[in-house]
Amino acid sequence: MKRVHLVPLLLLSSALVAAVAQNDPPAPEESRYSTRYAVAVIDDATFYGNGKDPIPKVLNQLLLEPTFSLKYRSRWNFSTSLIENEVTYADTAARFRVKETYAGLSAGDFDFLAGRKMVRWGTGYAFTSAGVLDPPRDPTNPTDRLNTNEGRDMIKADWVKGRHALSAAWSTADFARTGVTVRDTTAFRYNVLVHGFDTSLIAGYDRGSDAFGALTFTRVLGQAWELHGEATWRDGEAILVGAKYTTASGVIFIGEFYTPPAIPYYQPNCAWPLTGRQHCGFFNVSKSRLRELPGWKEWDLSGSVVTNFDDRSYAAVFDVNRWFGKHFSSYLHLEVPRGKPTSLYGSAPYSTATSVGIRFQL
Amino acid sequence: MSNVNCILRGFLLLIVIAFLVTRALVGHAASATVPDAEALLKRSDTYRNGWPSFITHVKITNYESGKPDEEKLYEVSQKGTDKTYVEFMSPREKGRHLLMLGDDMWVYLPDTSRPVRITPLERLSGDASNGDVARTNYAADYTPVYLRREKMGDVDCHVLELTARRKGATYQRILYWVRVEDARPLRAEFYLTSGKRIKSATFDDYAEIGGKTLLRRFTLYDEIRHNSHSLLEYSATSARDLPDKLFYQGRSDRF
Repeated sequence: MKRVHLVPLLLLSSALVAAVAQNDPPAPEESRYSTRYAVAVIDDATFYGNGKDPIPKVLNQLLLEPTFSLKYRSRWNFSTSLIENEVTYADTAARFRVKETYAGLSAGDFDFLAGRKMVRWGTGYAFTSAGVLDPPRDPTNPTDRLNTNEGRDMIKADWVKGRHALSAAWSTADFARTGVTVRDTTAFRYNVLVHGFDTSLIAGYDRGSDAFGALTFTRVLGQAWELHGEATWRDGEAILVGAKYTTASGVIFIGEFYTPPAIPYYQPNCAWPLTGRQHCGFFNVSKSRLRELPGWKEWDLSGSVVTNFDDRSYAAVFDVNRWFGKHFSSYLHLEVPRGKPTSLYGSAPYSTATSVGIRFQL
Repeated sequence: MSNVNCILRGFLLLIVIAFLVTRALVGHAASATVPDAEALLKRSDTYRNGWPSFITHVKITNYESGKPDEEKLYEVSQKGTDKTYVEFMSPREKGRHLLMLGDDMWVYLPDTSRPVRITPLERLSGDASNGDVARTNYAADYTPVYLRREKMGDVDCHVLELTARRKGATYQRILYWVRVEDARPLRAEFYLTSGKRIKSATFDDYAEIGGKTLLRRFTLYDEIRHNSHSLLEYSATSARDLPDKLFYQGRSDRF
């Protein structure tokens, strides 16, 4: 038997054994089934200013994003989250994507999961090197504005006891959609909360590539500070340090410094072909709900700058969101990249990208 | 002369006896009227934490200038004094979760690629803050001192001063009015470290649920923006055996 199949087989057989072993009745007052659902419809139009290439000036996207989850007796669960995206650019095309679809079993101290799932092991807000199975970070869009990130296809087992947790995951690249560059990945994670430090050790390997290892942490200091960081080894060391500061009025500042090795794995975020190790920074200030200003309670504001210190390019990003009642909101997202044409952010084929959209949530 | 001595001795003896009796009576009365603040606080907590492990639904209606302008729904799972898990159920916040483990808090946002550690100051945002929903066990978070007994309307109350004893406490200081009869909370005032009063609350309605008297409705008043208040209504409260792993901070499949 090939060694690469050993990890998923072990995970599956453990889940089966646990499922058979678990026949304890649930608490009598607990309902048998519980469900959750959500639907989002987004119409997003992006206008490109001063395009350097002969490209259309407007990109329109209409997205339908249904999500459904079912839980049976706190033991079995199934969740699916899909995206139907109609894109109008040079021509009109419809794309269907599976964001997440997985089934899970909870048995004693163990949780098992199989399917497409987004895991979140990295601690970085705009960058990550340790989030080996995480959706990709985009520092100009760290909140995944259109909610289009997809999970990885995997089998995962978690053992949780007190403040300790061990996870083992095997992810295959066989079902990844065309254009998504991933490899088969086997990864292990130990996570513990000790003296306020939420700390993780991650190790694993990508098939056909080198092994990797990482350490991550988050810690809250005093009333207003949160610190986070990652140190990863994958063909060289990648370092991320970041902090968040909250003022008494609810204004939040986030800063991050990131330097990965110059290898294709880390491109395009702060790793650029043939230019050696890069050093990047991210700074964001945001305030959700401007409740202190009369009439501005439904407004959220955010401004960011992401920069490459080596080629001195940067992108400034400005976001405004406004709610209308319980279900509707509209937003403006403005991105202004600057720098030399060969630089990380200066190479963008436009000088401004302005997105406006309307969102319905149920 | 000896008669005078006898009278004086008798008089002195009487004074000493009267002093001792008075002192004993006053001391006894004093110790009887100053209740145990710690016991009072623990008893008052039982009106919001009926079982060691339970779930409840919270509906928060925010009012601006007396008019309802926003409604939020939460499902709160609580175990012991230091584990709370809150699922946000209203359309605007669907997919969000809040986890409180001792002094540490995380929020899980669907649009952020990681669990976000939240600072104590972030716990205060909103009319009803994260801390108001997630931290209801005052005896675990605050050191009580008995201040006085006073009337609130027609009701006799004990007034307690609570001071934060752990960094996970939502407020630095709380003035807390509980009913003399049964330690039922009636009113609270919440203060920041700076001494500024940020909110006040009235505990409006209680109901019999599962053989226990539990808080059903309370109102939080914003003392900075005086035209704003929030009504918190509790429902579907029941005992539930919750697994420890529900409160594991690294768990990403939160439903």
